[in-house]
Amino acid sequence: MAIKNFPLLSIDTFPRAILHIDGDAFFASCEQSRNPALKGRPVVTGKERGIAASMSYEAKASGAERGMRIFEIKRVCPEAVILPSDYETYSLLSKRFYSIVRRFTPEVEEYGIDECFADITGLQRPLKMNYQRIAQKIKEELDRELGFTFSVGLGPNKTIAKIASKWKKPSGLTVISARQIHLFIADLPVGKVWGIGKQSEAYLNKLGIHTAIELARKSEWWVKKNFTKPTVEIWSELNGKFEKPLNIEEGPNKTSVQKFRTFTPPSRNREFIFSQLSKNIENACIKLRRHKLAAKKVIFFLKTQDFYYYGTKFELSRATNIPSDLICLAEKSFNEFFNPKFLYRAAGTSLFDIEIENSRQLDIFGKVLRAEKLTSFFKAVDVAQKKHGKHTLYLATSFWANKFAQHLGKRGDIPKRKGFLVKGETARRRIGIPMLIGEEI
Amino acid sequence: MKIKKKTSYQYIKKIADFYHKYQRLPSYREILTITGLRSTNTAHYLVNKLIQRNYLKRDALGKLTPAKKILGNIKLLGTIEAGFPSPAEEELIDTMTLDEYLINNREATFMLKVSGDSMIEAGIMPGDMVLVERGLTPKNGDIVIAEVDGAWTIKFFKKYPNGKVELIPGNKKYKPISPREELKIAAVATAVIRKYI
Repeated sequence: MAIKNFPLLSIDTFPRAILHIDGDAFFASCEQSRNPALKGRPVVTGKERGIAASMSYEAKASGAERGMRIFEIKRVCPEAVILPSDYETYSLLSKRFYSIVRRFTPEVEEYGIDECFADITGLQRPLKMNYQRIAQKIKEELDRELGFTFSVGLGPNKTIAKIASKWKKPSGLTVISARQIHLFIADLPVGKVWGIGKQSEAYLNKLGIHTAIELARKSEWWVKKNFTKPTVEIWSELNGKFEKPLNIEEGPNKTSVQKFRTFTPPSRNREFIFSQLSKNIENACIKLRRHKLAAKKVIFFLKTQDFYYYGTKFELSRATNIPSDLICLAEKSFNEFFNPKFLYRAAGTSLFDIEIENSRQLDIFGKVLRAEKLTSFFKAVDVAQKKHGKHTLYLATSFWANKFAQHLGKRGDIPKRKGFLVKGETARRRIGIPMLIGEEI
Repeated sequence: MKIKKKTSYQYIKKIADFYHKYQRLPSYREILTITGLRSTNTAHYLVNKLIQRNYLKRDALGKLTPAKKILGNIKLLGTIEAGFPSPAEEELIDTMTLDEYLINNREATFMLKVSGDSMIEAGIMPGDMVLVERGLTPKNGDIVIAEVDGAWTIKFFKKYPNGKVELIPGNKKYKPISPREELKIAAVATAVIRKYI
């Protein structure tokens, strides 16, 4: 007890004031808030993938968990309402979430579709409120205007803010000043700390560290001797310091681009699976080109029916955003990670080491010239797609993936909002305002 | 030092053109180049005039940024080339888009497609799109969206002096709804949209 409570880890209160804000069961809450028939009922999203992506607290209470297969959900919670994900609506609401937080501070890190960090240091005087009151006010505006609840944590840094937001969920507001940290991490398993993964946790356990406070109490010398920078930073933040700055760039974080799609039913057809991979590569390249970026490293991977991943990684001699370059690579190496004995359920690609499109260097073999031709070719493709819709023009290698819907059979359900158009809308251009759906009397 | 009004319009147009072309404002040196003025002092004088007249402003760091009259979707002095400044120029007013006109609080605004006929006397027809804002406190006579038995309903909000609340339909065919328990008002209607073509 003594060692848990004394001495304090820090004598400060809020040298920096960082908020972590987390939407409670975000996708399921989006669904419940727009359709009163779903209120108070167990709601699970992810029908189209066959895997639960998000569930309401009612569903959690009956034992449904994230990542469960839908048929398992039906077993543990037969009365659950299972819906296809409507990412269009979720991302509209996600953008609103960020902009409401930005009413208070420009320093907002969009950490995920349903969570963000915000730096409110020094805003007490301009906003005429203390930190706790600011956090409260942000929460109130989010809850009231979006129609569902958020959990907010206030701490001296991101690591502690994250612990705070998890402390009480749903709809919690938890304030942890630097001098109170020890009270909140005394019994917290070290693996629950943000940034400590399974590997680090196992290693920490081997070194006799099981709770977050045991890590926090270690000397700087000891931590630096045994761990690399990320863990040292976590240790320092557990001691109330501010180490991890917020990445406040708006829009998606572009240090990497990932495209990963599940398809049903699972398949062992080489051509079909390759074409799924090819489609993802095309999509990833479209995204890069849209942001005028190019990538230097690439990973291709497949996921089997048993949830194992197989893949391969390449480093390119120059950055690219041309799908045919990458598809050639994927084709040559496909046999390294594809085995016709297995059933596959998903294919994907990750592009990273991303740089600005125009910073490409010339090479001595004249490949750049060829690339320039392809670049202008794909510029034309982008223009055509913009006019006629995504995937109106695609590479022949993606043919099989484009021929069929991503999910056949029952799972091929489309979200309600996708199903109807308001007068003047087209399938690809819809009004950017979320709709209330459900019965109207 | 005085810059004639007509001449200054030409300068503004050049600065605005520069801004629309390069997405930034010109530096003093560049102002000299594009306007043909010779001294930075005059450029400074011009800039101050334009700040006064709401074409430019300074941000917190003192850097120049475009103000409303350059940013906005006003057609900026398009008549200058004809030689005669139009009297309309003197009346330049700010404009708003239909979005801005219809929506007060963007983050809190949702849409509902009306299916019933219970508000036809209020001019809300089946098939209309209603823009609604969450989180507003309804006032007497407001059109509100409420949750009743797991469905949405759109009605007039009526609060009596004794605190009792009723939802009044805008159609004599229907009776007012007086909730037995707590009435859940989800949003207040702010506009109705009906698109014909």
